Amino acid sequence: MRHFFFGGVNPAPHKESTRRKPIARMERQPSQVVIPLVMSTGAAATPAVKPGDRVAIGQPIALGQGLSASAHASVSGRVAAIEERPHPWGGVCEAILLENDGRNTPWSGRPEPLDPTQVTRELLLARVREAGITGMGGGAYSTAEKLRQAAGRVDTLIVNAAECEPYITADHRLLLERSDKILQGAQTLARALGAQRAVLVTEGDKLNAAEAVERRLRKRSGKVELCTIGTRYPLGAEKQVVQTVTGREVPPGGTPLEVKCVVLNVATVFAIQESLFRGKALTHRTVTVTGGAVARPRNLWVPIGTPLRCLLEEAGGLREKADLILTGGPMMGTPQPDLEVPVIKSTNGLLCLTGQERRPADQESVCIRCGKCVAACPMHLAPVFISQAVRQNELRKLPKLHPEDCMECGCCSYICPARIPLVELVRQAGQLLEKGGQAQ
Amino acid sequence: MNSTRSLRLPPQVGQPSNTSAMMGDVLVALLPTTAMAVFFFGFRVLVLAAVSIGSCLLFEFLYRRLTGQSDTLRDLSACVTGLLLALSLPATAAYWVPILGAAFAILVVKQFYGGLGKNFMNPALAGRMLLATFPVLMTNWSRPLDRLPLLGVDAVSAATPLSYLHAGTLPPQTPGQLFLGQQGGCMGEVSAVMLLLGGLYLILRRVISWRIPTAYLGTVALLALLLPPEGVGSMAWMTAQLLSGGLLLGAFFFATDPTTSPVTPRGQLMFGAGCGALTMLLRSFSSYPEGVGWAILTMNCCVWLLDRAGMPRRFGAGRFSVLREWLSRLRRNLAEIRFIKPNLHFTLIKGGKMPGEEHLDQIRAQAKALSSLGAVILATGLVIFGVHRFTDLDTARAETEAQQELLSQVMPQAAFSSEIPYRAVGALSIQAGYSEDNELVGYCVEVQAHGFGGVVTMEVGVDLDGRVTGVAVTDHKETSGVGTEAMTPAALRRYVGKSGTIRSSGANSVDAVSGATATSQAITAGVNRALAIVANLDLEGGDVSYVDGEV
Repeated sequence: MRHFFFGGVNPAPHKESTRRKPIARMERQPSQVVIPLVMSTGAAATPAVKPGDRVAIGQPIALGQGLSASAHASVSGRVAAIEERPHPWGGVCEAILLENDGRNTPWSGRPEPLDPTQVTRELLLARVREAGITGMGGGAYSTAEKLRQAAGRVDTLIVNAAECEPYITADHRLLLERSDKILQGAQTLARALGAQRAVLVTEGDKLNAAEAVERRLRKRSGKVELCTIGTRYPLGAEKQVVQTVTGREVPPGGTPLEVKCVVLNVATVFAIQESLFRGKALTHRTVTVTGGAVARPRNLWVPIGTPLRCLLEEAGGLREKADLILTGGPMMGTPQPDLEVPVIKSTNGLLCLTGQERRPADQESVCIRCGKCVAACPMHLAPVFISQAVRQNELRKLPKLHPEDCMECGCCSYICPARIPLVELVRQAGQLLEKGGQAQ
Repeated sequence: MNSTRSLRLPPQVGQPSNTSAMMGDVLVALLPTTAMAVFFFGFRVLVLAAVSIGSCLLFEFLYRRLTGQSDTLRDLSACVTGLLLALSLPATAAYWVPILGAAFAILVVKQFYGGLGKNFMNPALAGRMLLATFPVLMTNWSRPLDRLPLLGVDAVSAATPLSYLHAGTLPPQTPGQLFLGQQGGCMGEVSAVMLLLGGLYLILRRVISWRIPTAYLGTVALLALLLPPEGVGSMAWMTAQLLSGGLLLGAFFFATDPTTSPVTPRGQLMFGAGCGALTMLLRSFSSYPEGVGWAILTMNCCVWLLDRAGMPRRFGAGRFSVLREWLSRLRRNLAEIRFIKPNLHFTLIKGGKMPGEEHLDQIRAQAKALSSLGAVILATGLVIFGVHRFTDLDTARAETEAQQELLSQVMPQAAFSSEIPYRAVGALSIQAGYSEDNELVGYCVEVQAHGFGGVVTMEVGVDLDGRVTGVAVTDHKETSGVGTEAMTPAALRRYVGKSGTIRSSGANSVDAVSGATATSQAITAGVNRALAIVANLDLEGGDVSYVDGEV
């Protein structure tokens, strides 16, 4: 049975410029990569190398503990320095600088590939932790931790290839070009976690990828289901994808585990497959370099830690002046004023928007109570009332409006004809509520 | 890079439309309807629309300027109000009528409450309904395809299908005519197809949501389907109800006004259903044939409530969670009620603090508020009572009594009369007379004829066999003592029982009263005309047109 999620918007997809371009390796290797010690939730990883050490691809250079994931050298060469560098999430962060020797020597100590039949739950968790895999769709939660919590407690594994953000095609290309490995990964994961169902969710604008998956599904005897859903933002959001596949709603403040689901991004599943069956650590990922200002938009297979500037050079540089450069999609992406920041494990796109492509720069006008924000909110909120309460400083109204449920998908701000910064106001409301709760 | 823009939070893209573009879309959606109105009623429609839009813009500009607020003409909302106001007027309306409506709509309803987004009633509709309280201005429906001159419109009355529906019968127009626009009514109401076109445009452009029109029209359709009057097929009744009057205009353009409709999706559905139910209620049971306007205005006032009731369920909270929580709270509260022994120890008054004084203070404040509310209600009631007492009711009663007296003169066997919706050439009015048992006994026709001093107006009663039952002169300019000799009860009684064509001499004749020949001839002519009208009265249609009493 097909379920639906409420709300959502249909932003112009703008995926034409990269959806037919295969994932390409970088022609010019970056001369230096920057591996931040923070690439996942949790504390910073501890450096395991000293400046001057020689490293090879896949060699662990920083060790994570608990929630944080380990980091690995993505190029071979020499550790140049360990110093503070700008981070894509804003601010600066301790990072390991690697000088690339261009030889791409693989690390000799990497683990042996496993046989698909011998993967046990313990082995899977150990390998995933060793490979430093984190959520690659944007969440950046340690995958090992997620799988540890999920093992034995879930009945559905959801492989999220919805990629509902406009412009970005990294997951689309990955699914199209590596569908066999992804299916194998999903199957192995489902078995190891004890999930009865494994569902691969993709959107209607990736029909060629869906077709590729279906063709391979017919050949395999596996039990992965393919679920292709009409394109609507934000289908790729964790709670919405769970709702669409199973009809279950994740309780407020909870994770999909509470409704016996685990959601993994398609790139994460690919990384898990690589770590299990090829012994590779997470050192590279797909990044879509696109946007109206980019000369030759393309999908690139890049070493983690590559500065954004190198990505842009690889895509032919800027065709015209970019009004805004951000990592991620235009709906939830983070503006990057500094192009020296590196690609991290959760960076799926580099987007250079021209002034025309951006949100129209109209002045904010009065709310006409059209209710579009309420009809668009996939979290069942009423942004119009939340923003009113914040602006009129009526804090006692806030608890009932549940601004803390907001996941900042941006649908309300996107749809608002009065151009009210609703996401910002709802975020403020959440902060006010938290403060009020602490005061009491 | 522009620093203020780059600091903005996500999303970095936005849908291209903004408030003025939405308003512009509404104007575009109204274009087909306006064009159809021009086709039906002539270029007067355009002038009325221009006057209406112009005065809305002017009032908005003046108010914003005089109160030192920002200029809001560019959001186009005043244009939409103006055009909607014009389209909800009859094409015969005088040019000052929309100006009055615009003043009320823009100044009182919109700007006094803070302008766009703050008003609680739809300005255009409120303006139109204000005008509707002066029935004289608003009841002259001209017939479609009677193109009107730009200046000097005569008061003409034409059919509106609603009056038939109000009377519980189907209008004479076929559903096809109703659909394409062969119906009388306001300028913007006559063509269902154009309104549907505009409404679909708005929904496809996502200017309005589908929820309100669907719930509104669905409720009307359902109620009409379930409760057709006797002798009328339910499908035909539903079609006629859906396609006539201001329903489509209201459902697509008035009820969907963003500001005055709920913002929550479920609230919107409830709003639409409420509008539909109220419309059907008013159409069937109120004294006005049309109920759309009042229904929408009433629901406008309930929006705050519907917004609360329609609040989306919290994501992940489970179905009926609100109800469950409320029930559990109720249970807790009920469980906490304890019967306690009252404390009967009165202490001495200390510093004005009696036991329970604080409590009394609270009650006093509430009592004060309640009594002032009561006073307001009482005063309002008195004013309304006074207005009614000294205006409408007395006049109405006097009119009824005069009507009854006249009836007893011209048709003694009838107990009461009622207007029938037919009109014939030469008849000022035609009434049907009914006996005590509600049986039709004849028709009373008001006719005029030229006498000696001018027009003689008379009421002639004719029974179903075509015989005169009585004649009464209601108005004349004849010479007192001479011409009036022909109007004495005795002289008039001579017509009773006559039928066919009455001559002045020979067979089937009534002799002229000597000295009042001209008056006698006028009365005979009038009676003959009335007899002819009744004889040719074709109740199944034909060359008669409808007289619209009140809209």
